[in-house]
Amino acid sequence: MEETPQHCLSRLPDNSALKQQELPAHRLYFTARRVLFVFFTTGIFCLCMGIILILSARSTQEIEINYTRICANCAKLRENASNFDKECTCSIPFYLSGKMMGNVYMYYKLYGFYQNLYRYVRSRSNRQLVGKDVKAVEDCAPFKMSDNKTPIVPCGAIANSMFNDTIILSHNINSSVQIKVPMLKSGLTWWTDKYVKFQNPSSKNLADEFRGTTKPPNWPKPIYDLDKKDPRNNGFLNDDFIVWMRAAAFPTFKKLYGRLNRTHHFIEGLPAGNYSFNITYNFPVTRFQGEKSVVLSTLTWCGGNSLFLGLAYTVTGAITWLVSFAMMAIHITLKNKQMSFFHQ
Amino acid sequence: MFCFMVEMERIVKANDREYNEKFQYADNRIHTSKYNILTFLPINLFEQFQRVANAYFLCLLILQLIPEISSLTWFTTIVPLVLVITMTAVKDATDDYFRHKSDNQVNNRQSEVLIDSKLQNEKWMNVKVGDIIKLENNQFVAADLLLLSSSEPHGLCYVETAELDGETNLKVRHALSVTSELGADINRLARFDGIVVCEAPNNKLDKFMGILSWKDSKHSLNNEKIILRGCILRNTSWCFGMVIFAGPDTKLMQNSGKTKFKRTSIDRLMNTLVLWIFGFLICLGIILAIGNSIWESQIGDQFRTFLFWNEGEKSSVFSGFLTFWSYIIILNTVVPISLYVSMEVIRLGHSYFINWDRKMYYSRKATPAEARTTTLNEELGQIEYIFSDKTGTLTQNIMTFKRCSINGRIYGEVPDDLDQKTEITQEKEPVDFLVKSQADREFQFFDHNLMESIKMGDPKVHEFLRVLALCHTVMSEENSAGELIYQVQSPDEGALVTAARNFGFIFKSRTPETITIEELGTLVTYQLLAFLDFNNTRKRMSVIVRNPEGQIKLYSKGADTILFEKLHPSNEVLLSLTSDHLSEFAGEGLRTLAIAHRDLDDKYFKEWHKMLEDANAATEERDERIAGLYEEIERDLMLLGATAVEDKLQEGVIETVTSLSLANIKIWVLTGDKQETAINIGYACNMLTDDMNDVFVIAGNNAVEVREELRKAKENLSGQNRNVSNGHVVCEKKQQLELDSIVEETVTGDYALIINGHSLAHALESDVKSDLLELACMCKTVVCCRVTPLQKAQVVELVKKYRNAVTLAIGDGANDVSMIKSAHIGVGISGQEGLQAVLASDYSFAQFRYLQRLLLVHGRWSYFRMCKFLCYFFYKNFAFTLVHFWFGFFCAFSAQIALDTSYWTFINHVFIWGSIAVYFSILFTMHSNGIFGIFPNQFPFVGNARHSLTQKCIWLVILLTTVASVLPVVVFRFLKVNLYPTLSDQIRRWQKAQKKARPPSSRRPRTRRSSSRRSGYAFAHQEGYGELITSGKNMRAKNPPPTSGLEKTHYNSTSWIENLCKKTTDTVSSFGQDKTVKL
Repeated sequence: MEETPQHCLSRLPDNSALKQQELPAHRLYFTARRVLFVFFTTGIFCLCMGIILILSARSTQEIEINYTRICANCAKLRENASNFDKECTCSIPFYLSGKMMGNVYMYYKLYGFYQNLYRYVRSRSNRQLVGKDVKAVEDCAPFKMSDNKTPIVPCGAIANSMFNDTIILSHNINSSVQIKVPMLKSGLTWWTDKYVKFQNPSSKNLADEFRGTTKPPNWPKPIYDLDKKDPRNNGFLNDDFIVWMRAAAFPTFKKLYGRLNRTHHFIEGLPAGNYSFNITYNFPVTRFQGEKSVVLSTLTWCGGNSLFLGLAYTVTGAITWLVSFAMMAIHITLKNKQMSFFHQ
Repeated sequence: MFCFMVEMERIVKANDREYNEKFQYADNRIHTSKYNILTFLPINLFEQFQRVANAYFLCLLILQLIPEISSLTWFTTIVPLVLVITMTAVKDATDDYFRHKSDNQVNNRQSEVLIDSKLQNEKWMNVKVGDIIKLENNQFVAADLLLLSSSEPHGLCYVETAELDGETNLKVRHALSVTSELGADINRLARFDGIVVCEAPNNKLDKFMGILSWKDSKHSLNNEKIILRGCILRNTSWCFGMVIFAGPDTKLMQNSGKTKFKRTSIDRLMNTLVLWIFGFLICLGIILAIGNSIWESQIGDQFRTFLFWNEGEKSSVFSGFLTFWSYIIILNTVVPISLYVSMEVIRLGHSYFINWDRKMYYSRKATPAEARTTTLNEELGQIEYIFSDKTGTLTQNIMTFKRCSINGRIYGEVPDDLDQKTEITQEKEPVDFLVKSQADREFQFFDHNLMESIKMGDPKVHEFLRVLALCHTVMSEENSAGELIYQVQSPDEGALVTAARNFGFIFKSRTPETITIEELGTLVTYQLLAFLDFNNTRKRMSVIVRNPEGQIKLYSKGADTILFEKLHPSNEVLLSLTSDHLSEFAGEGLRTLAIAHRDLDDKYFKEWHKMLEDANAATEERDERIAGLYEEIERDLMLLGATAVEDKLQEGVIETVTSLSLANIKIWVLTGDKQETAINIGYACNMLTDDMNDVFVIAGNNAVEVREELRKAKENLSGQNRNVSNGHVVCEKKQQLELDSIVEETVTGDYALIINGHSLAHALESDVKSDLLELACMCKTVVCCRVTPLQKAQVVELVKKYRNAVTLAIGDGANDVSMIKSAHIGVGISGQEGLQAVLASDYSFAQFRYLQRLLLVHGRWSYFRMCKFLCYFFYKNFAFTLVHFWFGFFCAFSAQIALDTSYWTFINHVFIWGSIAVYFSILFTMHSNGIFGIFPNQFPFVGNARHSLTQKCIWLVILLTTVASVLPVVVFRFLKVNLYPTLSDQIRRWQKAQKKARPPSSRRPRTRRSSSRRSGYAFAHQEGYGELITSGKNMRAKNPPPTSGLEKTHYNSTSWIENLCKKTTDTVSSFGQDKTVKL
């Protein structure tokens, strides 16, 4: 008989808040005071933020020079693939009206280049790029092997189509004196790219490691010969190469080409004056109706010179204020109505 | 060998298995399970892939295995698919396992079968058609049997059919006289070789037609000779029967509806939605494919400097074609497969909430509520119609003697009633009965005044109790412990006799000529001179007895309306007083009876008795003459008082019914019980009230009558309606309504419809259906009485099909199983003896009142939560997928993904399960240097997260996005509360104001139904028992009945059974309309 109550107890469900669905709950109750307070403060915050962002974006300076058309003869030359070994250079003078203070960055910008094409994005071998097995080319179709069945290094469509114009900026102090503006080719990449994603095979002589492989068909020189001046900037660790290999998400994109080395004459940035870009035109874009340009730009704490974020903040703030005034009006009229209703 | 022909008639030969095997009759094994070990996998998989979503994802999986098309890895689809399918399969398997178990349990029950002239124990499943089996008292009947002989005289036996029709009173079955002579003689039984030719298996519980040919003579068989599977043998120590129908052919199994796969309406909505979304997906795919073709031909051609095409892939159209399939794969998340998994999980959670609910735990029987089906929870919030069984569901099937009015004085006031009656409240302990040893312990009575009156020796009170102890058809028996046990044929009669017993007038025993009672300690034997039996036109019952002093007395009890007409004019004052009391009783939902007596003078009685004998011997107009004689003697009665018996409702039924109807849920009562009983309960639980404008009773006996009655009721209703609305009658309108276009007319006023089983059978015919449904839906309450289990299911189907409403059926017995199965949601009352209802149900709990919480709390919450979840899910998937559509325009429609979808499904799940932390840890892991070092090709995202999250710009964008998405919602909510406040908003505001104004005062309004309705003669009672008693056929002859000076009433002993049968078929079991009685 004594077992019965125990049995009963065991079948009685637990009296816990979860099981009885009595967990504490809170429902936001939108009182006018709270809502309006939140709206006005948010509005103020957004407006301030917007103004700050716009101001800082406007404080940046940017120069973009589209050289697809300017170097028309070079473009024409490059349309024919058989002219690959003919060098073509092109000089573009321009006048910098104001000083560019601080760090100046140089970009190349491509229009209509689909680096985000599915098959294009897939056409790379990360195993190869990390330096473990330079002959790992499985994923690189259609640029796996050269015609005589030697694996391509670096393989794949991305690597093969690497941007290979050289751009040199020079400062024309007067008509006779030209100074080459010193540009750093280091520090252009993400840290993870340089130290994790891209690694050279561990050997002192890169050429030895890459023996038995061949260069991509579009390349004039092999991977271990990319930078003649700086031996550490060769192989997979070449900054230009790494920058190119990070495929852009949109068909119009700009990629970092170099940053100003602030020494001597350029210690404060780029002074105003006449400059020119001396471009070795190698990369054909007219064949796919693309365009390319070179960009000089300074940065602020919040990025480049895009006004979008600042405008978005300003607009949001303004709308928030408008809406809060509207809500206040509605609330007050309703309240008066209710009051009069009660008084009746 | 398998016979495809439909069985037209059945030929069975007793004790001849070889002969019967020719016909390939089903054996007694039952299968309710769906699969066995071998068939489980193929059948289950086939069933599962019939679901749209599963099939869709199978196709998707196949697409993904084609490398040209595949833009995502194959495991992103197969993992959720396999998960869904395994989960469902495991659930199906466990369900089926339990069905196997219960099948086995039933199939392995033992019964005694006569094989090779010996009684052998056999399992039920091995019983074959034509076998003769022996049943013992309180055993379940194994198959549908032809009763051959029994321990009782004349081959009588008693069965309880509660499992079949829900009625708890005992039914009599009797064997043919030729077979009842076989008795328990095994050798003779073994030689029995009769051939039964009868109808094919069917589901009619109250009909059987057949012929037994034995020894060159033919005997016709009817339902009286058949014991059905599911019955329990009672009060009969043994009986022999021959198996006619076995296993799936039995009427019980034929009545159990098919198990149906139940779906919620959200499920159905989801299926159509999935189809629409699929169409949408195809559209997106086509747009993108066209875009790709155009791009390839215009721009892509020139781009081949950097990306060669393989040979043979030159055509831009072909590229577009491939792109189409690739996008179908990429965008597949718009059709949400994980949604199905997540929905199942949420529903499972809700089921657990139901199981855990302490407010649905019935402590007296230690039964918690149980959600047996985990997939229907949100449907609970959508119920529009409830179909309820009566006995055991609404009522406890306990009759208790509650109150009485004796000689104009009421006894047994309900203690905590109105103010002027509070004198009893001080002494709440029940009455201490006089003869404790004899009293029934469960009986309680709270009014001590009655006891006082008895002790004072009030002659009227004594006479009153004497009537209760004498005028009935109860049989007494002493059990092994020496306690007095009453065998009652109707529970309310039992309540009355038990009440008399506890007040000191103990019915001890009876013989055909005498009734012995113990009156306050002294044994008194009355001679039973005549027994004026109950029937449905008379609605009363009388006995004429001679007491030891030699006085002849007529004691009568019956429906007040009938009995009051028979009273002596001197009763006028008492009559009006008692009448008031009766109204009060009826107002409380009690079943009332009036009690009267008459002193007869010796000479008069003798004359009357002689006339009665003449009438009995007459061949013509016998019944009419007897009825006239009864009428003649039952007059000038002296009123003693009235009794009120409570058909005890389950706890909280009234409140539940009220709140459910407040929620606009319609409750239909479907019961196998009699019309009066059903109506009574309707009144007791406030479904029927006096305030109702009209109560229609449909009791036609053929299709035409039923249709007429329905039409009339409808006209009546719309006529009254117009009266109400316009003030004058508008001319009759032709009502030719199509079945599927039934519009719910707005009806002012409350109406109720009461329809009995026979009429229902006609009303469910195709052309009358619409009338019935239309009328029923306009009524507030519908009561169907005397319905068979299958009819219950048919009614549910009718409403389900033509009203498109969500239905719920609740019941406790095997007779409710088919209804429970066919309703959208079946609820079983657990904690009782029979388990069938619970096993077939989707939810089970111990009390009807828990329905309120199940529907109004759990159902509502489940529905809300599910809807919120679905909205969020669709939003999320669309937001995620449409980004890819958009991105398609920037990536040359090349099916490149903008976000790494391959891991999204996985991350998605973790996210849903509530862990942003897990999300970030996985994100960072996948973007970590380590994993890149191991799988450089699979995880090329190293540095992305780190680089982007360190930029201030990103955080500003996140912040702005948050502000821009949250603020509109806040505005919307704020304005909604201000401009269009919902009821709950108003209430909340009101509550706030109240809180400020003053502390809340708890005042509970108490409602008491006031009704002037008189209950009719409320006996669940049949004619014929009077004859059984006076003829002594149902009594075992222990000692020869004492000879009395009076001439005995003689009945022809061979004809009494025929007499009984004839009477029962003629009996009008309701107020003169329903012409059938089920025995």
